[in-house]
Amino acid sequence: MIGQEIGHYRIVSKIGEGGMGVVYRAYDELLHRDVAVKVVNKDARLDPSASQNLLHEARASSSLAHPNICTIHDAGETDGELYIVMELVEGKSLYSMSAVVGLPAESVLRYGVQIASALARAHDRGIVHRDLKTANIVVTSEGLVKVLDFGLAKQIGSGIFEGPTRSFATVQDTAGVSGTLPYMAPEILRGEVADYRSDLWALGVVLYEAASGRLPFEGRTGFEISSAIMREIPIPLGPPVPPGLWAIIQRCLAKEPTQRYQRAGEVQAALEAVQSGAIVSADPAADLHPDVSPPKTTTLHSVRHAHVKKGDFLLLVGTTKGAFILRSNAQRRRWEVGGPYFHGHNVYAMAYDGRAGQHRIWVSTQSYWGTLLRSSDDFGKSWTNPQQAPIRFPSDTGVSLKNIWQITPGRAEEHNVIYCGVEPAALFESRDAGETWSLVRGLFDHPHRPRWMPGNGGLALHTIVLDPANKQRMYVAISSGGVYRTNDGGGTWTAQNQGIRCTFTPDKYPEFGQCVHKIAMHPDRPERLFLQNHWGLYRSDDCAENWTDIANGVPSDFGFAVVMHPKNPDCVYIVPVESDEFRCACDGRLRVYRTRNSGASWEPLMRGLPQKRAYETVLRDAMTADAFDPAGVYFGTRSGQLFGSCDEGRTWQKILEGLPSVVCVRSAVVEGAGGSLAMPKARPTNPSRTKSRSTNKSRRTNR
Amino acid sequence: MILALTFHIPGALREFTAGHSTVEIEQSGATLTDALTALWAIYPGVRDRVLTEQGQVRQHINIFIGNENIRYIGGLASPVAAGSEISIVPAVSGGWCERVGLISNMGR
Repeated sequence: MIGQEIGHYRIVSKIGEGGMGVVYRAYDELLHRDVAVKVVNKDARLDPSASQNLLHEARASSSLAHPNICTIHDAGETDGELYIVMELVEGKSLYSMSAVVGLPAESVLRYGVQIASALARAHDRGIVHRDLKTANIVVTSEGLVKVLDFGLAKQIGSGIFEGPTRSFATVQDTAGVSGTLPYMAPEILRGEVADYRSDLWALGVVLYEAASGRLPFEGRTGFEISSAIMREIPIPLGPPVPPGLWAIIQRCLAKEPTQRYQRAGEVQAALEAVQSGAIVSADPAADLHPDVSPPKTTTLHSVRHAHVKKGDFLLLVGTTKGAFILRSNAQRRRWEVGGPYFHGHNVYAMAYDGRAGQHRIWVSTQSYWGTLLRSSDDFGKSWTNPQQAPIRFPSDTGVSLKNIWQITPGRAEEHNVIYCGVEPAALFESRDAGETWSLVRGLFDHPHRPRWMPGNGGLALHTIVLDPANKQRMYVAISSGGVYRTNDGGGTWTAQNQGIRCTFTPDKYPEFGQCVHKIAMHPDRPERLFLQNHWGLYRSDDCAENWTDIANGVPSDFGFAVVMHPKNPDCVYIVPVESDEFRCACDGRLRVYRTRNSGASWEPLMRGLPQKRAYETVLRDAMTADAFDPAGVYFGTRSGQLFGSCDEGRTWQKILEGLPSVVCVRSAVVEGAGGSLAMPKARPTNPSRTKSRSTNKSRRTNR
Repeated sequence: MILALTFHIPGALREFTAGHSTVEIEQSGATLTDALTALWAIYPGVRDRVLTEQGQVRQHINIFIGNENIRYIGGLASPVAAGSEISIVPAVSGGWCERVGLISNMGR
């Protein structure tokens, strides 16, 4: 066959052979792509109607455009031989990957979600797989799952195409029963018609096998296996398989179809829920004392951690699907990536708190289950997961927390003080290192508040700037409300928007209501602030009393992020975007702009950044700088790329790509961490915190 | 009246129910609020995941009594009969209509 053509497919090489046919790698001369061609043996003796049915099914399956389904491109007959042309998938079968010991729970969940998603699509189109098994699920080197042979089993049994074969052959009998025995649902063995719930049973078997390396129903003979499927309960999977995953498998393996999940989408949602909960392993003791809640020890399975040690440099990256912790050293050339933490959650705010010898990472997480402020003292290996949300609006406000946009540790000498800016716009303050929080009433009760309007991202207090010299003074920025300042430690607040243009109200210079995107201050010049507005770039030299336009030579004065050079108070970095309507880098050229004269002029920084079709957006908190000399500057994009410069912006490197949308980037140098275990040094004495940690919160720890 | 109820706990919340996927409780009272209050009493961590601080069911969380979504039968004041099965389910994540449709089919 090699070198021959079937239709417009040139056979290149043989990939595999099964009982009833051969699979070839081929080249599609028409569409110029590599494909796989499966040729059914003439010896398979399909009767003419079965052949026609196979072609029909293959064509039906070709409508299944889904990233986790191996696409069938074409099917036909030539010289009496039946062939099916499909996407060429290169990877390992889940069967070979899960041999003997099984895969980490994290991988099982990740693959399981994709398999369930593929089934959901097929079932929606009325196509039942009928022979789902680990041997026809392939995982590519990128971790992408591809389910093979949708809809083909009914006609011929997919065993004809298998490379790896179990000791149990794919079967098909005259009654139309098809499949592979250990994956067959009880109703099929009873002779009933397989429907999509039989696929969900098989999914349960696949998950069990992937998690444990063994089949749930085993036996030495077909009879023993059938008997086990009909009557026995599989051996329970304990740790490290999380109880949530085990519960899903059990429900898939309910003997009665009506007791199973009814749709693949439900299995997918359930797997995602276990995933997003960062996967729980309950303390076995708690089962004996169900009133003792919550479990003291829970485990993060298979999340990759960065191994942080003293002197390391960290980038904290918050995305719309979780958080990442990147570790490097002062060279900032090589990066180790930890995460993703908080799978699937929005992480809008991260902060590093290195005051008083601690090294605590703060993070806000938002999901269906609400918004939480959490922290880790071991660089992500364990996180607090408080029973009660620590930041909450008092009942008399009638307001519910939507998101936490900003976490700002207090001044260096006030090491128990932390602030959070939240949506709906409000400021929260903690004076006990994050243990308890209170709403800053002076701002919340401001008469302007009812007239603040939500911006595109919601009504959020997203920026908190502390005057390092004057402990009574701080600034906040609200979209859309403008800049507010207190001079009395938060008791009273005044709008400070004189000179900031508002494009979306009849009064172009209102007292408040501006959509301020970010403000920044250099600690050496606390009277001076820089501001990126929703249209407009400004500086104030008098504690925000007056603002002056400094958009001198930028391609657009629309943008989000403003970052100060850590040492030079005249140096500021921004990333302009084209317009309100088109929030992408101007002309598709990704350029950071820098001023070194406080905004009198700006210069583009682009070496190493994409300058063609780079329609990127850098959001308000997605840029940061470090304190090395020369200083580093880092930013993440909405498209999930992370760039860095370790020469003050002169040249740039891509650090990572393929992340979810980046919404937050923060940097930190780790001082005083002890060795690779990265356990914290002594914390400031705070008995209430210690007590509360052990009684009030469930703490994730590494086992 | 003493009611025996079964709560079905989604995977994401089992950290707060000692790993249990179902929780059976007996409680006096006749509304969903009564039943949930009894659940929080045993497993307080579940409360803030299901309700906002103002006591409303979170936007993307659905609670079913049997097959009925409580949003259509009286919300937290919905009556709960003895023997009811109460499911807490995250509602949507992309593909909104599709998933809502699936949830509505979640019978048992």
